[in-house]
Amino acid sequence: MKREAWIILLLIAGLAVWPLIAGDYAVSRTNRAMIYALLALSFSVLAGRLGWFSLCQTTFAGISGYVIAILGVRYGWPTGAVIPLAILISVGFAVVFGLLTVRARRVSFLMLTLALGQMIYALSFQWVDVTGGYNGIPGIRLPSFLGIDFGDTRVLYAMLATVTVGIFMAVHRVYRSQYGLLLLGIQENEERMRALGHPVHLARFTAFVMAAAIASVAGVFLVFDMGIMSPAPLSLNQAVLVLTAAVLGGYRTIWGPALGAAVLIMLQTGVAQYTDRHMMVIGAVLVLCILLMPRGLSEFPWKSLVHRFRRSSASG
Amino acid sequence: MKTLRIAAVGGISALALASVQAHADDTVRIGVIGPTSGVFSFFGEQQRMGVELAIEEVGDRINGHNVEVEFYDSQGDPEVTVDRLRAMEDRDDIDIVVGPVLGSTGMAGLEWASGSGMPTVISYSAPEDITMRNRVDNVVRAGWTGAQPMFAFGEYVVEELGHTEIVMVGQDYSFPYNQIGGFLKSFCAAGGESVERIWHPTGTDDYSSILATLPEGDAVLYNGAGSDGLAFFQQYHDFGIHERMPLIGGSNFYAVGDLPQMGDDAIGGVSALQYVEGLETDNFLRFRDAFWEMHGEDTMPLAPSEHGYVAFHMAIDAVEVAGTTEREPVIAALRETDMPDAPRGPFHLDEYGNPVQNIYIYEVQERDGRLVNVPVETYENVSQFGPFDPEEYMANDPDSRNFPPGDCSDPFYD
Repeated sequence: MKREAWIILLLIAGLAVWPLIAGDYAVSRTNRAMIYALLALSFSVLAGRLGWFSLCQTTFAGISGYVIAILGVRYGWPTGAVIPLAILISVGFAVVFGLLTVRARRVSFLMLTLALGQMIYALSFQWVDVTGGYNGIPGIRLPSFLGIDFGDTRVLYAMLATVTVGIFMAVHRVYRSQYGLLLLGIQENEERMRALGHPVHLARFTAFVMAAAIASVAGVFLVFDMGIMSPAPLSLNQAVLVLTAAVLGGYRTIWGPALGAAVLIMLQTGVAQYTDRHMMVIGAVLVLCILLMPRGLSEFPWKSLVHRFRRSSASG
Repeated sequence: MKTLRIAAVGGISALALASVQAHADDTVRIGVIGPTSGVFSFFGEQQRMGVELAIEEVGDRINGHNVEVEFYDSQGDPEVTVDRLRAMEDRDDIDIVVGPVLGSTGMAGLEWASGSGMPTVISYSAPEDITMRNRVDNVVRAGWTGAQPMFAFGEYVVEELGHTEIVMVGQDYSFPYNQIGGFLKSFCAAGGESVERIWHPTGTDDYSSILATLPEGDAVLYNGAGSDGLAFFQQYHDFGIHERMPLIGGSNFYAVGDLPQMGDDAIGGVSALQYVEGLETDNFLRFRDAFWEMHGEDTMPLAPSEHGYVAFHMAIDAVEVAGTTEREPVIAALRETDMPDAPRGPFHLDEYGNPVQNIYIYEVQERDGRLVNVPVETYENVSQFGPFDPEEYMANDPDSRNFPPGDCSDPFYD
């Protein structure tokens, strides 16, 4: 417990110092990494606790993004009203999707979320009068208020870092609560949990809605970070990117998704600078990672690796 | 766990270090962005080849400035585009942006540029609002709007081909909406009767249900391109519909890269664009031969190439005129762009920042054993508003799935 507190303090200190020493671009990349960390967390809540692999978490982010774009830009509603409404509407969708998917198991859940996500994607593409179609809706900015420009990269960073750390800590608590254990129990043996009198469907349904709420918060930041809302963030590519981040980092742990997102964004930024074939390089790294550490970076037995290395160098 | 943290912190600091590279002031740095990977990489590669030719012509010094060029891959994705543009400004100290190439990345680029103030020359990206309803001072365009060539085409189809009832099949997204929108506005003004629009999702490979129930008309206009266009083209001929209704195309249908796969069936196909590879002007031939010398004769320089080439020259010319890389004078010079000797033909920018240029009606013909789009009619000085008044034009809704109306007797056209 004590060590954990230290780690959290260190992390917060690191996040606080970072914008003071890093350049604009590095800060904006960190913003993007935190957004993806939230999305990967949203994915991991379902994958790690319930064994539910969802391909529609980015859809919830997309929905809240579109609500902000449509109400904020098209209808000129004030940002302060639009943001909570966006999260609310996105959660509303999650309630409907949750009712549809709550009885589904592994593959059928995956297929259901795929279908639902792609439906919304197609809608965003083709409902041009409302969504602007392929070209999207530009001009989404956070306003200035009390002399602070909330659209500034570093201000956005401050807000995003606060929210991200807050959400991760909250989810951490949920994981260790009775409810979190119940979710794990459901994944292990659903029948037994039901026999013990636990509300299995209700627990799963609330987990689904909670995960969607996290994703919708990520969506709010994403749309203000991009300044334009187009169908791209709802595409299957994005869903797969989030899945990759979560699997790479390890979706069973609390900080695996953050680690995965950070590594993935670093890889993208670093490699794309030097070659156009960056997708191949990243793909190769991923294949290696997943072959060598099937449970993700965060669950790889680093310690025993160090021990073994020490032992072999001592004996050699 | 600790090792990991150290690794993560180390990685992040490396990233920070990479972000503080210094650059000398007497260098003009140009960032070129386009989709060089992903499904639209054809467009990005074409642009890159055009820009490479322009770089060779310009050399590495102008007016006492060193010229440096960086290429960026947008992956055809708006999110990645915004990220790369940020890298240009914050990390790589870029002075002028050339690109993006695709519609949605162009809109994302515009959105970013309007916040940043970066001088930007949009190359092939064609959403009309980039230089219309959402225009900003620091963004100009070397290419076109989706509607622009179709103003000429709509008129031509009625007056020269005599088609007054058109059946359109097209890809269901913004660019084709804009193309048929421009077509309809001049088609109806020239005495056309109706255009029936049938939309299909992008990525459709089976058109039998559409072709089996195709309404009758004077001609079919396929409003799309790429693998969808190719599949439609082949199935259209397999069904034998070409024997009763000729197939004409949207601007990209015959123009970007599919001609070799279409084969001889494509001969006689008609469409319109501001650039055709069958031009025979001196400026064009000089461009084409230099391009072939650099990239080999197997690669035909198509519109995205020429637009990248021209956009790069616009950027360099602006620095030369301004005599500095400071933003304000460069932007002012960009907006005054006048290119009497562009490969596509002379053009200048209108007050909104979009070229006023020739539109060529072209026909697919065989020349020296290869299929080439040959210009058969030229409409000079066509602006992004066609024959219409800019303010009135922009007061209308943007084109969509079913706007403007497909029936020319609609009160909209009065």
